[in-house]
Amino acid sequence: MVVVTLQRNKCIGCNYCVELAPDQFRMSKKDGKSVLLHSKDKKGFFTLKSNNHLIFDYCEKAAKACPVNIITVKDI
Amino acid sequence: MQKIELMAPAGNFESLQAALDNGADSVYFGVEQLNMRARASINFTLDDLQEISRRCKEKDVRTYLTLNTIIYDHDLSIVKTLIKKAKEADITAVIAMDQAVIASAREVGMEVHISTQINITNVETVKFYAIFADTMVLSRELSLSQVKKITKQIEKDQIKGPSGKLVEIEIFGHGALCMAVSGKCYMSLHSHNSSANRGACKQNCRKKYTVIDQETGFEMELDNEYIMSPKDLCTIDFLDQVADAGIKVLKIEGRGRAPEYVAKVIKCYREAIDSLENGTYNKNEVIIWMQELEKVYNRGFWNGYYLGQKLGEWSKGSGSHATQKKVYIGKGVHYFPKANVGEFKIEAYDLCIGDTILVTGPTTGAKEIKVKEMLVNDEKLNKGSKDDSITIPLNFRIRPSDKLYKIVEHKVEA
Repeated sequence: MVVVTLQRNKCIGCNYCVELAPDQFRMSKKDGKSVLLHSKDKKGFFTLKSNNHLIFDYCEKAAKACPVNIITVKDI
Repeated sequence: MQKIELMAPAGNFESLQAALDNGADSVYFGVEQLNMRARASINFTLDDLQEISRRCKEKDVRTYLTLNTIIYDHDLSIVKTLIKKAKEADITAVIAMDQAVIASAREVGMEVHISTQINITNVETVKFYAIFADTMVLSRELSLSQVKKITKQIEKDQIKGPSGKLVEIEIFGHGALCMAVSGKCYMSLHSHNSSANRGACKQNCRKKYTVIDQETGFEMELDNEYIMSPKDLCTIDFLDQVADAGIKVLKIEGRGRAPEYVAKVIKCYREAIDSLENGTYNKNEVIIWMQELEKVYNRGFWNGYYLGQKLGEWSKGSGSHATQKKVYIGKGVHYFPKANVGEFKIEAYDLCIGDTILVTGPTTGAKEIKVKEMLVNDEKLNKGSKDDSITIPLNFRIRPSDKLYKIVEHKVEA
């Protein structure tokens, strides 16, 4: 299972994650910060659990590109 | 000579209060992510706008919201929200770079200031932006004679902003300088994917570098490895010339710096500007101010590009050259208003009579005082240690949210 988290409040809205993993991330038009699609919020940490392993590489690229290091990706 | 407005940075409530307590005429601050210190873990939120406005109005201090990053389409909505909320909170003006921000602010009748990120270097550009803005920050790379030329021309051509008044010129007076032309640095973006122009500068220019010729492998001989890290700007020693250049606003850099930094720098520049006005500005005072300024975070000082120096002066080490540093001692417990006494709990190190303490907090700001007497666990003693409860006579109120520090000498490595 692929587990992706986004610590959303620290996002500076650079858009890299959307460029690299467009199926998982989207920019919120409301506050200009990144949204991790289909994720659940737990105290500001948005977590997506997915059985689709194909998303791993995209999300990892997004995590590496994130200038404020608020994305983590794990394969468990 | 026209009166110079002293503008202070406020990265959080501690610094804001420190600015207000030490005589700032105006403050600038960022809310949420669209400002040049977006990376800072402490940024104000939308909900703080009212409180910022309230505190500043009490002291008749003007408030400027920095909204000066580059803007993408997905930011447009938050830009509008920020401006709307700022307008509702009666914030004085928005400091802008992107045309979208300028347009949005004008739409709701909000005063606009042009950020140094736009890099104004000539009077025609001033004329262009005068359609939208009353105050403009000039490029930090201009000399004072170039600045003076622009202010003179504004007067001569009667260049007026939307308010109908002559355009006011603002320059940076103190604090960090960029290795590149402000607003045009892509170093952090290229090396770390982290754009300075989105407020996420990684400050990699502040590190040590060696220069190697890849063809021959020869290493360039440099007497200083910090080849890209400029010293900090300081203008207090030629403030008379700065004033003579016809500027209206002197901006102090440092939204990412500590509240005691804001307190110290604003206090010095307040005194300096006041002394210019009443004609007592002199070299002896400058020496004292310089010593004070050196106590807080700095990379060594130079005059920037204002006096026409051709090349930058580079910092000789990483981090601060400050002659003092703060050491965490403990936290505030209670204030006894009738007795004017503050109670603290010591959590680390010792505190002795004669020590200088620093108390910081969101409402307290940053207050420094020398300990002349104290009670340790209700006994008159010379020294308090870990886990002791101490009370000290204070002429200001403290709170449980306050932190207590001791100021100690800091050896500067050459």
